[in-house]
Amino acid sequence: MMDRKDLSQAWTVAVYEIRKYLRGRRLLGMLILLALIVGLLLGLPKALGQPYPSDPDRFVASFAQFASILIVLCGVLFAADALVSEHEKRTGYFLFPNPVRRETIVVGKLLASLLASGFIILLYYAAAILSALVITGGVTGAMGLSAAYALAYMASVVGVAFLLSAILRGTISASVLTFFLFTLIFTLVDGLLNAAKVSPWFVPTAAAGIIGNVLAPPSPFPGPGGGVFTAFNPDVGASLAVFAAYFLVGGIVATVLFRRRELKS
Amino acid sequence: MTEDPIVVRELGKDYGKFTALSSLKLTIPDGTCFGYLGPNGAGKSTTIKILTNLIRPSRGRAQIFGIDVQRRPRDALRRVGAVIETPEFYGYLSPRETLAYAGRLRGMSRADIHARTEEVLKVVKLANWSDERIETFSKGMKQRLAIAQALLHRPDLLILDEPTSGLDPRGMAEVRDIVKALKREGHTIFMSSHLLGEVQEVCDAAALIDKGKLVLQGTLAELAARAEASAFQAMFLQAPSTEDLAWMRGLGGVKDAVASGNGGVELRIAGGPETQAAVLASLVSRGLRVTSFRLVGTALEQLYLETIQETEQ
Repeated sequence: MMDRKDLSQAWTVAVYEIRKYLRGRRLLGMLILLALIVGLLLGLPKALGQPYPSDPDRFVASFAQFASILIVLCGVLFAADALVSEHEKRTGYFLFPNPVRRETIVVGKLLASLLASGFIILLYYAAAILSALVITGGVTGAMGLSAAYALAYMASVVGVAFLLSAILRGTISASVLTFFLFTLIFTLVDGLLNAAKVSPWFVPTAAAGIIGNVLAPPSPFPGPGGGVFTAFNPDVGASLAVFAAYFLVGGIVATVLFRRRELKS
Repeated sequence: MTEDPIVVRELGKDYGKFTALSSLKLTIPDGTCFGYLGPNGAGKSTTIKILTNLIRPSRGRAQIFGIDVQRRPRDALRRVGAVIETPEFYGYLSPRETLAYAGRLRGMSRADIHARTEEVLKVVKLANWSDERIETFSKGMKQRLAIAQALLHRPDLLILDEPTSGLDPRGMAEVRDIVKALKREGHTIFMSSHLLGEVQEVCDAAALIDKGKLVLQGTLAELAARAEASAFQAMFLQAPSTEDLAWMRGLGGVKDAVASGNGGVELRIAGGPETQAAVLASLVSRGLRVTSFRLVGTALEQLYLETIQETEQ
């Protein structure tokens, strides 16, 4: 269990991690990307002469479908190198001989990752909801739910990124694997399970469907051979449990591995 | 009862089948400046990394002020300042911010951090660089910063792993002066080095480790007394003949005499200054025109070389 001193040290670690994101321009990079996505979503329909959806939920749903990629990039930039860099860049020689538990360091870094990623996601949703209010004149509770689900998915991505950061030897491999795991590998597994008619409820990218579905439920569309195909519609409770499991298991195993890992080089 | 700053018992570390450290037993008393000598790969850094909880021992235990480092690392490291190898720092921070980070992790107050930061940056001569980003720093500057962060919280025990590594000769001398000043203030210092002169200049006692095993330990005077001989370089106006060399080998106290080129002879002389003076007088009285006669290897160096050779055999 963490005592008051541990919590104070974890906060100190978090503050300096956030300073890293600020000085390393990662936060700025994410803000620029966020502005680009928002700009494209608002500017492209106008430029192409297409009308915006008149329904506020459907309007925000177009933003929600890009939330996943933003979340994965947050995991890559704010979490994937958090632990491995202390070994690879030898900064552990400065940090570890201080009277601070390794668990406390992980908690501090995790807190910083969640705060920075959460800030980006909330800012993105704030832009989407504000745009919906201006353009469609409506704001609904579903938008808040979608944002909450996005934050829950974000926590699972951060947990897995921390796990990879504790397992792998290099910052680049941890970052690349985190990115491809959530953009390619999990999606591939999701697709294969769907094709085999197995419910992919336990795959986080499939469970992340709740982020968009709460705004615009999936509708059946024509499938091969004249049939009707309905995309996997994840259950909200199960999906939130999946996110929690990935976050907790990822975070706990990362902590155990980080604690056991020796600074040899 | 005051606990000894460092107590190590049967400490061992294996990396697979390779034993980096074998049954080490050491006690460093309070107020001692202790040199930890050995060639590269002897096990010095392994010992220091175990003491600072960077790696776990395979067996045995290490205590700092009576607290087991592996079981209670946070408590054990509270009174320790450490410089391990040449640490890297966060390039996006300045020295002032780095010291504030270390100070906050150690629970120091803002006022104390501020005051001590000014002091220690002056000590390591980084005051003019206190607000520059570390990413632009040289290895030597990072080494100075490492020493500054080790001193920040006024530690009772300083653990220094090759503290002059990466420094230019002037920087090395300055670090030695800092260590000597800390020693005068009563700090306990445990310093690894492969530079014998450095240990001889600043330490009271030393241990020699080779291939993971402790081979010698004692005060510097005790260790010097165990050395068989000191090495001297005698230079002559004309190179001595083979007969002269044979004659030199027969002189009292001379263990060996070998021509070293350019009219020089390397003499290994056992005994103290009296014997050395008598050897010099004999050379002169034989009519050999001596141009210089100087110590090239201290007794500690000789002991080091002899001991390392023995363990290699």
